[in-house]
Parts: sequence; structure tokens; C-alpha cells
Amino acid sequence: MSSAPSTIPVKPVAAGKGQRIPAGPERTQWPATIILIVCTLSVLVPLYVTISMAFKTTGQAVDGNAFSLPSPLTFDSFAQAWTLTNFPRGFGISVFVSVIAVAGEIIVSALAAYAIVRNWDRRLFRWSFFYLLAAMFIPFPVVALPQIQLTGLVGLDNPLGVAILHIVFALAFNTMLFTAFLRSIPLELEESMRMDGAGTWQVFWKLIFPLLGPMSATVGIFAFIASWNDFMMPSLIISDPELQTIPVLQKIFQTQFSNSYNVAFASYLMAMAPAIIVYLFTQRWVMSGLTQGAVK
Amino acid sequence: MPPLPPAGRPLSRRTFLAAAGGALTAFGLAGCAPSGTAPTITFHQSKPEAVPYFRDLAAKFTASQDRVRVLHDMATNLSASFVRSSPPDLGCLNYNLEMARFMERGALSDLSDLPAAASIRDDVLDLTNWYPTYEGRTSVIPYSVMAASVIYNRRIFEKNGLAVPTTWDELIEVCERLKAAGITPIYGTFRDPWTVAQGLFDYTVGGMINVRGFYKSMHAAGANVGPDSEVSFQKTLLEPVKRMVELTKYVNPDAASRGYGDGNTAMAQGQAAMYFQGPWAFGEIEKAGKDLDLGTFPLPMTGDPADLKVRVNIDLSLWVPEVANGQQGARDFLQYLMQPEIQNPYNAKFLGFGTTKDAPPVTDPRIVEMQKYYDEGRFYMGASQFIPNSIPAANYIQSIIGGADAEGTLRRMDADWARLAFRA
Repeated sequence: MSSAPSTIPVKPVAAGKGQRIPAGPERTQWPATIILIVCTLSVLVPLYVTISMAFKTTGQAVDGNAFSLPSPLTFDSFAQAWTLTNFPRGFGISVFVSVIAVAGEIIVSALAAYAIVRNWDRRLFRWSFFYLLAAMFIPFPVVALPQIQLTGLVGLDNPLGVAILHIVFALAFNTMLFTAFLRSIPLELEESMRMDGAGTWQVFWKLIFPLLGPMSATVGIFAFIASWNDFMMPSLIISDPELQTIPVLQKIFQTQFSNSYNVAFASYLMAMAPAIIVYLFTQRWVMSGLTQGAVK
Repeated sequence: MPPLPPAGRPLSRRTFLAAAGGALTAFGLAGCAPSGTAPTITFHQSKPEAVPYFRDLAAKFTASQDRVRVLHDMATNLSASFVRSSPPDLGCLNYNLEMARFMERGALSDLSDLPAAASIRDDVLDLTNWYPTYEGRTSVIPYSVMAASVIYNRRIFEKNGLAVPTTWDELIEVCERLKAAGITPIYGTFRDPWTVAQGLFDYTVGGMINVRGFYKSMHAAGANVGPDSEVSFQKTLLEPVKRMVELTKYVNPDAASRGYGDGNTAMAQGQAAMYFQGPWAFGEIEKAGKDLDLGTFPLPMTGDPADLKVRVNIDLSLWVPEVANGQQGARDFLQYLMQPEIQNPYNAKFLGFGTTKDAPPVTDPRIVEMQKYYDEGRFYMGASQFIPNSIPAANYIQSIIGGADAEGTLRRMDADWARLAFRA
């Protein structure tokens, strides 16, 4: 049991980076800076249009000048979007789905990865890992129809069903991330804890799960973004229109025959707000979390 | 960027799990909470501009009796709900080829015993038979018909001393005179393929050929459609399509990069004299400019004013699925919606034409010119509406406008049609 994980070399991540650039706070990398500034425009320009559109009147929104400043400034669009989508309820449902999806994805995948890594020498666990990985090649749209029928049959055609499906469909990728990270945790730590009389359950909750923190953050971020922004799954699975999530309710603003840019963007802004606010407070975790995901 | 405060004590596992569990229970229970004693029927209606209107009606009906509660639904995916065998109890949607598939397979119940079914104009009810039907059933009750033709700016026409054209030659003359006066005759929005199919293509084809007869023969020919068949896109539609291309000489030079929204704004600003769109565009044009005098006239395609016809479609139709749980409640609400004092104000407000035998004529000056044609049954449904989605007809037509060879493209549509018929 001890041989397999420890043979995998643990690579020091930070080595070899940033050494070509001579240290010195005054030197600015102008070419790189300019490229990055241009790149930020791809985010800032749409964001600017979104915000200014949301405060425009309907007449100004369709006059063909997307970049003009709103005049007069109006909050009507927010009020309209609020009532048209029944925003508080939709928002609550979206939060519900995201919370369960994030918590579930972290816990279930971490448990699975722990079991697999520590039992790597047993065939059942090894093959179950490959089995899980194979699921990465099955995207939701392929199995949408049977999923709709199945969830309908077992009474999961509601937000809870969507959250569970999110957990299941992300299981493959998340388990892979956790597995890779777990291999870098030395077995000796665990052994010393077992010497003191800890059981497997205790080892997992008191030692492994806290150590998995950075990777849990990564998984959590991906899980949040995926479930918060998802359109297709809730639109197909949830049968009760009163329990629909925000992205699906917002569909109403865009049709072939009508454009309500101002109301649509006001609604998008309100839907984007939590993601942006969460990001502002957890910036540091997000950064480290994303690079964790990139390295593995 | 201000330095971030040091991360406080991490959220303890137990608190986190407790919170998650609490949220789960709370929401789960909320979902099960009884929503009143009366059974709920779902009313699916997703035309966005009419959502507040119908939501209001649903609330009024719910308050007026205590047998059922009507729940307005604009978000459920229709196909998924049929797959799950829990479709909406009453649908109020655009009736088209996609919707007809549900009817063809018998998924919609028979409504012919309802008094509302008998009150519909025969030629309007017959419009549903242009699509595949389910033998012996009246599955769909048309609620609102939209008539579409050329939208024109009356002030521009008056200023240039122009009369509404009634023959093809007059139309060309109008275009030439507008062009000579430095005015864009027709505003084209060719970036959006559907606008080309809906406007230029449907109007030119519908004005020249018998759309229903054409598709009847096309279905009869099926896999044999091709250069030698009696009817085909390449033979039957070649003449109208050539005229369609001729009309593109009179569009704005930047038509290829203009979309539907741009067109509405341009018409609101009086940038062009004519616009090939339906009445749904009026609401959008109104958003961009109020002080306008717009009217509509059918596109003349022949030398005989007696051939003039308008394009119609069943904008809203009512249907009750076979497997719906709340059949009776749905039928009650359907009857409620069909009352003249409910249906007629809807059509007046949203520029639709009434579907019943005693519906009042439209009064809105923008569409009033089409009433005559609607009353006399001089209408057709858009030719592009009968081509299954598997054939990208709108894109083919767009490419013809963009300069592709008309004959070659129509030949390809024939080949697609034949292949699809062979597979079916």
C-alpha cells in the first residue's frame, strides 16, 4: 500500500520561474504591459456597455450608439427586470443549486479521490478511477433526453435534481484533480496519525480534507461558475416554472422579434453581481486555486 | 489595490455543513409547501412583450373562481416537458412547423367540442391544416393572426408624390423615383438570415405562386424532387427569387452588415421608405421613435392588382396536450381567454387580427390597410415556414442575396428536400 504513491516525484512548483527577469521593482516590461492592457479591454469594454446600457431608457438603448453614456439616467430597467423574472425567487433558486453543487462536488469528489489513491494497488479501485475518468467523454447534451425522463420518473425534476446532476457530471474531472493533488501528500503524515489511534474517517476529516484546501478551492470555484451560469441543464430538467433558475428566466429578454437591451443588461448585471462580489473577497484564493488547477 | 485583510479563521467544517444542510432543508420544504387548495394548471406563454398581459389575465381568472389556480409559465422547455410527460396544461404559442409535429403525433387533445372552436373563421382555422395534422381533430385554436406586408413611411411617399404601388411595374417605378430623389427605397437587414426569409423571400414567393399548392406537390413528389419533377424550388420559385434579387438593387448599401435591430432604428429615424417586416417590428420601431406615420401594403408581384395578398401566420394558438393533468381547468381557462371582451383587446393591443367570425376590424392606422385582404381571405403563409429546420433555407436565401447563383442554390435546396424525404 505504501509503494505506489510515494514513487511519484513531487515537483517543486516555483523553481525556475521568473529568473530571466532581473529583480528590481522599477523596471517595467513595456511590451508585456501594453499587451496586457489591450487584453483587459476585452473585459472592460463589454462590462462598460453592460453597465451603461442597464441605466439607459428604452429609447436610448436602441438608438444604435452602444458606447454613449446614459442620459437621462434611469433605474426603470432594474425594476422591470426584477418583476419580469421574479428576481428574488429565481435568485434564491440559483443560490440553492450552486450551494449544493459546490459543497457536493467538493465532498463527494474528495472522498472518492481519497479512497482511490490510498487503494491504488487494488484493481477494483484502480479500475473505478478509469471508469470515472471515462465519464469525462460524455457531455450532458448527449444524455439529456434519458436524463429528462429519469429525473421525471424519480421526482427529481426540480432544482435539487439539477444540483445532483451537476455533482455527478463534474465528478470525473474533480476526482482527477483531487487524485493528482492527493498523491503529493506524503503517506507518513497519515501513518503518524494512525499511530496515535485515528481511524480512516478521522484521518480524512482531520488531516486529508484540510490539506486538500487549495484544491477544494479550485474545485469549488469551477463548480460555482459552472452551476451559476448553467442554462441548459435547469432549462431541461426543472419542470416547475416557479422553481426555475436565473439564467433560464433571463432567456425571455432575447428573442427573434424583440430586443430589450436595457432590461436584459440590468438583469444580467444583477445576476453577475454575486459572482463579482464573491470574487472581490476571495481574489487570493481564486488566483492560487486557478494556478493549482493549471499545474495539475 | 488595497491589501487584502489576512484571511480570518477558516469557516469551520461543521458550521459549513450545518449551513448547507439547513439551506437544503429549508428550500426542499419550501418546494413541497402546498400552494393553496385548488389544483394548479400551467399556462405556457412565452411571447415576451405579452407576458405581463397574460400574467395579469391568469391572476384575474384565478381570483374569479376557486376551482383552479393558473400558473403562468414562460421558462419551461417545451420538448423536455413532453419527454417527461408533464407538458403545460394549456399552451398559447406561435403555431409553426415545429409545433405541428406535436399535433401530427396526436400529442394535442381534440377541442372541437368547445364552443370556442365553432366561433373561429373557417379560413383561419384552415390555416392549421397547411401543416401536417392529426386526422379528425381540432387540436389547435388560433387566437391571434399576424398579417405582414411591406411597411412604408407615409410621409416620405407623400413628399415625393408617390402612391402605394399595386403592380410590379409600379413598384419598380416607386423604387426608381425614390432612388432618384436620394432616398433609400428599401431598408435591408441581411445580416439576420430570418429577416431575408421572412421579408423579401416570403413576400415575393407568396405574391406570385400558390404556397399551399406548391408544398402539397412538393410533399407528394418527396424524394423525386429535382430538375425533372413537376414542381421544385429551382423551377417553381426561380421567377420570384429572380425578382427578389432585382429588388435588392434598391436597398441601403450597408444592408449586408445590418441586423433586425438596426433596421427598426433606421425606420424610426426615417432613413428609408420601405421595410419588409411584420407588425412585430412596430413595437420595436416605437422604442426608437414615436412621431411616425407608418402604413402597410402587400408587395405587388404581378401586373394585376387582384393578385395582391398579405402574408399571415398564427401568432398565438391555444392547445391542450393529451396527457395534461388539468384538462378541465385548462379548457375553462381557454374558454375564458376566448371571450370577445378578453380576446379582442389583446389583438388590438398587440396589432393582431382577430380569429373569430365576429371579431371587430383592426383600427390601428399602421395595419388598417391590411384588413381588406384579411377579410377577403387574400392571404398566404410564408413559404420559408414550410421548410424543415434541417434545411438551412434562410441561410441559402441569404447567400442568394449576397451574390450566390440563384439557380444553383435552389437546386441545392431541391437536393436537400429530396434527401430529407428519402430518409423519412
